Amino acid sequence: MLKIANLETVYSDVILALKGISLEVPPGMIVALLGANGAGKTTTINTVCGIRKALDLTVEDGSIEFEGESINDMKPHQIVSLGIVQVPEGRRIFAELTVDENLVIGSYSATNRRDFAQRKENVHNYFPILKQRANQRAGYLSGGEQQMLAIARALVASPKLIILDEPSLGLAPLVVAEIFGIIERINKQEDVAILLVEQNANVALAISHFGYILETGRVVLEGPTEQLRENKDIREFYLGLTEVGTKKSFRDVKHYRRRKRWLS
Amino acid sequence: MERVFEIIINGLSTGAIYSLLALGFVLIFKSTGILNFAQGELAMVGAFVCFTFASQLQLPYLLAFLIALGIGAVLGAFIDLLFFRRMVGEPVFATIMITVGLASILTSAAGIIWGHDVHAIRAPFTDKTLEVGNVVLTHGSLITVGVSLLLFVVFMLFFNRSLLGVAMRGTAEDPDTAGLMGINVNKIHMAAWAIGTLVAAVAGIFLADQSFVRLSMSHTGIKAMAAAILGGMESIRGAVVGGLAIGLIEGFAANYLSGAEVGGFHFGDVKEVAAFVVMIVVLMIRPHGIFGREKVERV
Repeated sequence: MLKIANLETVYSDVILALKGISLEVPPGMIVALLGANGAGKTTTINTVCGIRKALDLTVEDGSIEFEGESINDMKPHQIVSLGIVQVPEGRRIFAELTVDENLVIGSYSATNRRDFAQRKENVHNYFPILKQRANQRAGYLSGGEQQMLAIARALVASPKLIILDEPSLGLAPLVVAEIFGIIERINKQEDVAILLVEQNANVALAISHFGYILETGRVVLEGPTEQLRENKDIREFYLGLTEVGTKKSFRDVKHYRRRKRWLS
Repeated sequence: MERVFEIIINGLSTGAIYSLLALGFVLIFKSTGILNFAQGELAMVGAFVCFTFASQLQLPYLLAFLIALGIGAVLGAFIDLLFFRRMVGEPVFATIMITVGLASILTSAAGIIWGHDVHAIRAPFTDKTLEVGNVVLTHGSLITVGVSLLLFVVFMLFFNRSLLGVAMRGTAEDPDTAGLMGINVNKIHMAAWAIGTLVAAVAGIFLADQSFVRLSMSHTGIKAMAAAILGGMESIRGAVVGGLAIGLIEGFAANYLSGAEVGGFHFGDVKEVAAFVVMIVVLMIRPHGIFGREKVERV
């Protein structure tokens, strides 16, 4: 559905952020995009969503296709109307508006206004708390509720692809588990593909079908999630798991050298 | 008693004009985040356009009125296209200074086009009055109050109920995220400028009916800004209440305070000052204005 091929992007004409990445999101799948800070995760999705001008970001090479159509040069609102909606990093809900009004704005791109009430109700099924808080100003919601609202705001547009940028950011583990459970349900019940950008590899690999690992602007590893979970390097660098019972020291790990191998 | 009643009516009709102008301020501020210092000048241009069509070209008044509104809307959209489209996300001071510059440009342009003479528009309701008991009400002031209340209701519904209105409020708060929701931010800003300038034109035409069409009528914009700030810059309700309040304060100050003598001290023409004194006092008690709300800060 979404196909990125050899994408190279540059910030302010000098900083090469993405050095030719390729990835694909097939219909109805959850694809995880993992990586540390500065790996290029947010750059990737900003490029996909067309937010380039404000960031002084240019596409040097490569192509982005959605359902066979090139979206390289489209504006953000045109990309949304194709059915790609982003849940931005740090939630970015409209704090001054009520919860309901946030949902109204979320549905802005939908041309059919008549079934808005029905779609809103559908969203309320996933996030019942938003119904209780309908007329409250969104800025007064808790962090978890704000994240729920941000996802609901994207879902109410009935998109084909939702891009989630670090939904676990700044949330308690229990809340993260709850939200990721809902994301999984949304993916199954709404037949919507999800591109999940995360630092928290543990939760992301738990619900996704396919994963890409990004390091300094390159895809260094990719594969079905079961494979990634078993990968020795990922278990160590991203999941923090080591062999049970063995005492580890940094000298034994030599992870720096192993990591370096990825990048060369 | 009748005197008080007349002061109230006249105060309300002047106040209604301030309200309309303040409404234009708030509309533009609410949707684009730009404090438009050229609001009074836009009203003046609207009045001159109406004067051209109604008095010089002898078109029917209502037609001239509608043409002036149309030209006002186009002018607003054009201003956005020319100046503010490329200023999205730029520092607030830069945008404010552009509106200040725009105000001077509009005044000079109007001076070149229409000259510096004082004109009057003859409306069908000019000089017509309605007597209720001993109180004399002009049709003009009744229509002004009526139209400003009507627009108030229309805009309240627009901003709270319509998709475009809610989208405008969202865009004002966070244009980038609004873009991510599929909102064409440029289009929203253009619409806001068009509507804001249209409302300014309405205000200018009614102001012309109460006084004259001349370049200096744009100074009313300052009082309208005071009204908008008094009401709480982002509140439609505040704009209307603030405008009417300033109109009433001016009316009472002119009648009871101007020329009064208290303990050997003579008040001069305090009408012009009174409104601002009240505004300052209110702002010291409620810094966000009467209906203004503090921004939600939560990270």
